[in-house]
Amino acid sequence: MKKATDYAVGDTFTAVREVDPYRPIYYAAASGDFNPIHIDPSIGRLAGHQGVILQGMCTFAWLADACAAYLDDPGRVRRVAARFTKPVQVGDVLTFQGRCAGLDGGRLRLEVSATNQRGEEVLKGACAEALLPADDAAVEGRG
Amino acid sequence: MPIDQRHLGRRYGPYQFTVGLEHLRDFAAAVGGGVPGRVFATAPGQAHPWTWDEAAAAASPYGSLIAPPGFAATFAIQPFSAACVDPELGINVLRLLHGGQDLELLSVIRPGDLLTTSGEITRLQERSGLEFLEVSTSTVNQRGETVVRATWTAIIRG
Repeated sequence: MKKATDYAVGDTFTAVREVDPYRPIYYAAASGDFNPIHIDPSIGRLAGHQGVILQGMCTFAWLADACAAYLDDPGRVRRVAARFTKPVQVGDVLTFQGRCAGLDGGRLRLEVSATNQRGEEVLKGACAEALLPADDAAVEGRG
Repeated sequence: MPIDQRHLGRRYGPYQFTVGLEHLRDFAAAVGGGVPGRVFATAPGQAHPWTWDEAAAAASPYGSLIAPPGFAATFAIQPFSAACVDPELGINVLRLLHGGQDLELLSVIRPGDLLTTSGEITRLQERSGLEFLEVSTSTVNQRGETVVRATWTAIIRG
């Protein structure tokens, strides 16, 4: 397990996720979001897309997981926020590049970019906050 | 036609949701590159073990599986999705996009938790031909602790 001293402003982390053809269906099953725009290519085209689009909250979960992986603890993530700026489609490969942008007391601030294989941003303003364990924060406070 | 401002403050819920162990593992599989379910299922290669591997979770500081942050989408979304299909609002769902998301996680969520989510419309705004619908939600667990606060923003294309 990581300690508070294992995190530093300027740390970077990367996660890559690929939207395979079944991913929107698997995510629908697990999340309960069966909006036909994510399931039925004809409905996706009716809405002006090339086919189905991935649920925004799946991209959002990937953003959160990228931060959780850096923290090595999903339970420490206290806030995640982002704006969705471009639909994510089947075949897309998303790269999440994160950076530890602030460390204040026991609270970490992470900033993340998320781009597809064409370098287009699919999220803007993506960020997360995390709370370090109380013991670690206390140690840091004494330091 | 723009959504009538009189709907500002319109409330949705409460919605109850019991967190299931298999549901957590299915969610981890779906998000972590695996296959959810009990038929042809595969383990997630890209999920944190504490969110799907019971042995690893038992040895963790939490002592049991915990929900990853994104799992909040399975329950806290309900007031937002109810607003999006509310006939009183009259939104064409084909014109609807998820515009933004802010999720605050105040405590870990575990299997067996009984969660109650309520929400209300906190913004209705028209800007450059787009309409913004914002729903703010709050989720409490069986001990009355607020576990999730979230702001969900939909954009309706003109």
